[in-house]
Amino acid sequence: MHEFAEWLQASSVSLTIQSVEWIIPLLQSIHILMIGVVFVSSLMITLRVVGSVRADEPFAAVWSRFAPWMWGGLVVMALTGLTLIVGEPVREFTALSFWLKMTLVAISVITIVIFGRTVRPEARASASAQFSAGRKAAAVATVVLWLAIIFLGRAIAYDVEVWGSLSLHA
Amino acid sequence: MEIPGIVRSIEASGVGEWMRMSLKAMPIVESIHVFTSAVVFGTILIVDLRLLGFPSTRRAFTRVSDELTRFTWGAFLISVVTGLLMFAPNASTYYGNTAFRIKMLSLLLAGLNMAVFELVTKRSVASWDSNVAPAPAARFAGAASILIWTTVIFVARWIGFTKGYNYDIPAGLDLNLQFPAQ
Repeated sequence: MHEFAEWLQASSVSLTIQSVEWIIPLLQSIHILMIGVVFVSSLMITLRVVGSVRADEPFAAVWSRFAPWMWGGLVVMALTGLTLIVGEPVREFTALSFWLKMTLVAISVITIVIFGRTVRPEARASASAQFSAGRKAAAVATVVLWLAIIFLGRAIAYDVEVWGSLSLHA
Repeated sequence: MEIPGIVRSIEASGVGEWMRMSLKAMPIVESIHVFTSAVVFGTILIVDLRLLGFPSTRRAFTRVSDELTRFTWGAFLISVVTGLLMFAPNASTYYGNTAFRIKMLSLLLAGLNMAVFELVTKRSVASWDSNVAPAPAARFAGAASILIWTTVIFVARWIGFTKGYNYDIPAGLDLNLQFPAQ
């Protein structure tokens, strides 16, 4: 896998991304903008589930308002993320933070998809419907997952300091 | 006391020293800053889009805005604190950095835009609160806000790539840059 990363890093696509001065900062900036969009969209849905915001609207209205932005933002993040990986594959693949982050992203997406699909019709359509403690916990958990993902994203640049000998840099 | 002197004092302070010497503080502070700034941007974006009447004007602007205000301000406060913690250890470097200056100016513009909106434009809110296209001044405030905050984020990322040096590489000089960007 390390060989693959080194091969990719020497490819012309990767070299272009590395050498054109503004590409990586631009990709990272778009990635960060999308963090705002994705995180807050997910947060709004969670806050609705716990009854903190838009409690006067049915869950379906809040979901249909924010879920498309969350999914759209995630698509943009996948594209910018993939390009960033192609630009610096060795840096990403030798960071434990990177692999943990990707795992949590997968878990987060799967959790939200399942959550969205299993909300009962009555809970979806009525503004007064209450969600169970389990549902609320799951909704809060997704926000905590995104938070962990944000920290792991930053930790990639500090992988050895954060993980010590567990880092794959060794 | 002039600004460069204040900047040097901040850099020499105990907080600056602690942030410089601590191994784990900077990544943690940076991560919190990213998280809270994402909340600031995201919640402001919701309100700004509503000011633009997008995607709908069904929900009253005052409702949309009022319930998000505490999140925006709470997150902004923590962004300022974490920002100061990042500024302190390298204050002089940031002070002289063009991208940093543009960021600070943009934050000021964002504040100005918000002040004008709150003090002037919002007086007429009853007439455009729901189910009608927002007043032109309201739409301007929303559009300006999105533009300014997007600039803040782009320029902030640029600080990381330019701090410590503020010069153009001379033409014709072949630099073999093999190190990855942070």
